[in-house]
Amino acid sequence: MATHQTHPRPITSFVDPDPTDAPGDGADPDLAPWPSYDPGEFYDEMVGPHGVPRPATRALWRHFTELGPDALSERQDAADREMRAIGVTFTVYEGSTGVDRPWPFDIIPRVMPAEEWQLIESGLVQRLNALNLFIDDVYQDQRAVSAGVVPSDLVAGSPNFRRECVGVKPPGGIWAHICGSDLIRDADGTVYVLEDNLRVPSGVSYLLENRMVAKHVFPEMFRHYSIEPVDPYIGRLANMLASVSPSTGDPTIVVLTPGIYNSAYFEHAFLAQQLGVELVEGSDLVVLDDDCVYARTIDGLQRVDVIYRRIDDLFLDPEVFRPDSMLGVPGLIRSWRAGRVALVNAPGAGIADDKKVYSYVPDIIRFFLDEEPILATVPTLRCGDEDSRHYVLSNLERLVVKPANESGGYGVMVGTQSTDDEREAVAKQVEDEPARWVAQPIIPLSTAPTLCDGTIAPRHVDLRPFTLLGPEGAYVTRGGLTRVARRSGSLVVNSSQGGGSKDTWVVDKQVPVGPTAGAEDT
Amino acid sequence: MPQPRPHASDSHAAVEADAEGEAVGIAQALADPDREFRSGRTGENDRTDENDRTDENDRTDENDRTEQKEPTMLLARMAEAVYWAGRYLERAECTARIVQVHSDAHVDMPIGQDVGWEPLLAIAGVDSEFAERYLAEPGSGGGGPTEEDVIEFLLRGEGNPSSILGAIASARENLRTARPVVPREAWEACNTLWLVCCDNLAETESRQERVQWLRRVIAGCQRINGILLGTMSRDEAMSFLLIGQNLERADLTTRVLDVRSENLQPKRGDDPYDAVHWMAVLRSLAAYQPFRRAMPARPQGGSTLRFLLQDARFPRAVSACLTETRAQLKSLARAEEAIDACNNASMMVATAAVSRLTLSGLSEFLDEVQVAVAAVHDRIDETYFRPTFVGWQPESVAS
Repeated sequence: MATHQTHPRPITSFVDPDPTDAPGDGADPDLAPWPSYDPGEFYDEMVGPHGVPRPATRALWRHFTELGPDALSERQDAADREMRAIGVTFTVYEGSTGVDRPWPFDIIPRVMPAEEWQLIESGLVQRLNALNLFIDDVYQDQRAVSAGVVPSDLVAGSPNFRRECVGVKPPGGIWAHICGSDLIRDADGTVYVLEDNLRVPSGVSYLLENRMVAKHVFPEMFRHYSIEPVDPYIGRLANMLASVSPSTGDPTIVVLTPGIYNSAYFEHAFLAQQLGVELVEGSDLVVLDDDCVYARTIDGLQRVDVIYRRIDDLFLDPEVFRPDSMLGVPGLIRSWRAGRVALVNAPGAGIADDKKVYSYVPDIIRFFLDEEPILATVPTLRCGDEDSRHYVLSNLERLVVKPANESGGYGVMVGTQSTDDEREAVAKQVEDEPARWVAQPIIPLSTAPTLCDGTIAPRHVDLRPFTLLGPEGAYVTRGGLTRVARRSGSLVVNSSQGGGSKDTWVVDKQVPVGPTAGAEDT
Repeated sequence: MPQPRPHASDSHAAVEADAEGEAVGIAQALADPDREFRSGRTGENDRTDENDRTDENDRTDENDRTEQKEPTMLLARMAEAVYWAGRYLERAECTARIVQVHSDAHVDMPIGQDVGWEPLLAIAGVDSEFAERYLAEPGSGGGGPTEEDVIEFLLRGEGNPSSILGAIASARENLRTARPVVPREAWEACNTLWLVCCDNLAETESRQERVQWLRRVIAGCQRINGILLGTMSRDEAMSFLLIGQNLERADLTTRVLDVRSENLQPKRGDDPYDAVHWMAVLRSLAAYQPFRRAMPARPQGGSTLRFLLQDARFPRAVSACLTETRAQLKSLARAEEAIDACNNASMMVATAAVSRLTLSGLSEFLDEVQVAVAAVHDRIDETYFRPTFVGWQPESVAS
């Protein structure tokens, strides 16, 4: 795996507002290290060796040095007020009551050089293509199993395998149309894909809202620097959704939400609003004898062609999956199997974001695409293998142990930050049900400068870009949702676990500076 | 089969207008959507029918012919949410006006002669909820409800869904549900209003600061209305919002009149405070200035009543609210029953010999109007929000 690391390249600064100022000039007093900022042994997204800002971040560095901590804190307050006023929230459940929390947004952006981003982009597209070929293969010919690329019990034994999907051919053979990948960077700068979220990945609304607020917080930066826009995502999403419609003509697209009490309801409403489509709940839809899906509108029933569903597989259709689901639509899977409606992502796509399948992704890429993986995969030990289990159990304090089939950071044990009791409990669970568990080395997540109580301190970050794949092609957001652990030393960035967020700026030195720079995506 | 929309060339619109005499008129002309956007609706009409999809090719042709997207559908659930958003926003604003004006009038009364605070509870229709919460407490003693209790209950009261804060919260929840069909700014303005009202709740505790809080509410609601009028497409969602708003207005105006009817009847004596009373009624409906301009120099109680019930130009007069409601209903499919109910209410209001009604006759009449207005709501609810679609089949299956 070591052969495919993406080492950060020496990238010269993007175009600077002051042409006389040579990039990389260590003598520039504005680029002096921030005295109290020390990321320690971690890779810092902004600061390179000896406390000197990385080339792509220099303009930002200079600007922040000029502003000083007080002005930054004022802008942070303004950003918090704006988030509150526009009602960007997420719901946290404490017991049975949901509390609407304002979305935590740190104004200091995380900067990525465009050259590095291009590599990430091609790596993500490669991965999503391969994963889709794999999913399609799982539900059709099972060539990957026959060829021994993946073991057969990996597929059949997975809780994400859906028997009901066998033999179904979605348009273009695409099952996972929308992927929210979790990327992390380790101490030497290597970018890894940590998770491929293929079921109902969330966060893109926050990515878009973060950008909008960031524009209001640092308008001067957006005027002077070429920061890649993220807005085109919505148009691409609309095109992709339309492209999988089973009908000719202008398709009726809807977003299917579990309802107002779901923690991601804000995002569901946001996406429906931005796409200009209806936001439906299961009870708004009905499947008739013609196997078509209809929405209950004020004018009667209207046929629906494409459903961007934000409900988990098992709740989609009480006739097929959980019979107690109040969220789904009876007959929906029948309609989908008959090709009368498109479901995005398709049911069963989750087979490929199992953490055990994850460990086979490099082989899957080689098998289906005959290419070497562009992005690195974290070495993963499957506790079902006896050798691996033995190693895991005797090295618990040095590993991350996680259930193969959870998301949102639930059930994850980070060895270095665990107590004896916690390790003991995990060891017992691993011994009881080894196949349910995987383990990975602890990747020391990179840090980024973050405003904490008026000072700038390093905090660990990850990154979630979104990739779209349809019959007409792929698209990757230029940037992503950077999630940040707000407690010092913490590696947990999930917003459900108290993490915050940042805007991610992909900065391009190629685009000329000017008011139109980077404004449009073609 | 869903019934097709009524056609634009709906010729009896004009006839009905005549029958209602002066009650319709400019308001009708302003509100009637026929002129502004009915022509677009006719086109949509045809396309909606195509959604039954007997022939896929027709749809493709349709697409070739025009760049226009197919008519965006409106979910029954969304229609209901915007309708209630309209109602709750209006309720919050009206209640704020009524409380504010009542407080002002209270100050004008001679010492010892209290206007009392019960009428406010009656207008809001929450007397029994209030009694349950406050008067059941031991030691509440005799005397009427206190100013503090009534104000607290009306502005922020727990257990009072019609309190100003409760109404704003409900409007916010409904707009949140309806986010996809209302302009983003409108939701944000409502969210901001709710946050500001919550942040400044302490202001409601003193008379001086209460004015400011109430002004915020009124200004906030007006702002949302402005955003909606200025940025929202005149689509079906907008129609439901306007219908909700106008039915709530009509309802509240009749409630104010009902509770205040005593003050609105012409009196024989020459009570100097008579004027204070009827001016307060007008002010609480933001009607004082329009009334002055529309009426002769020395108006009396009877003319106030006539103005607030039958004026066609003032947007809070019951007639004008019903006219607007009907205009919006006419832009919707399957609205026949709701329109009938609306016409019924309109006729009742327009033809009443208001100035000849006795006190008890007036109260009875206002009750009837309220029932008639409620009937419009019921028809809308049955037609759009709770449709069953039992037995409905697409043509492709039925044939």
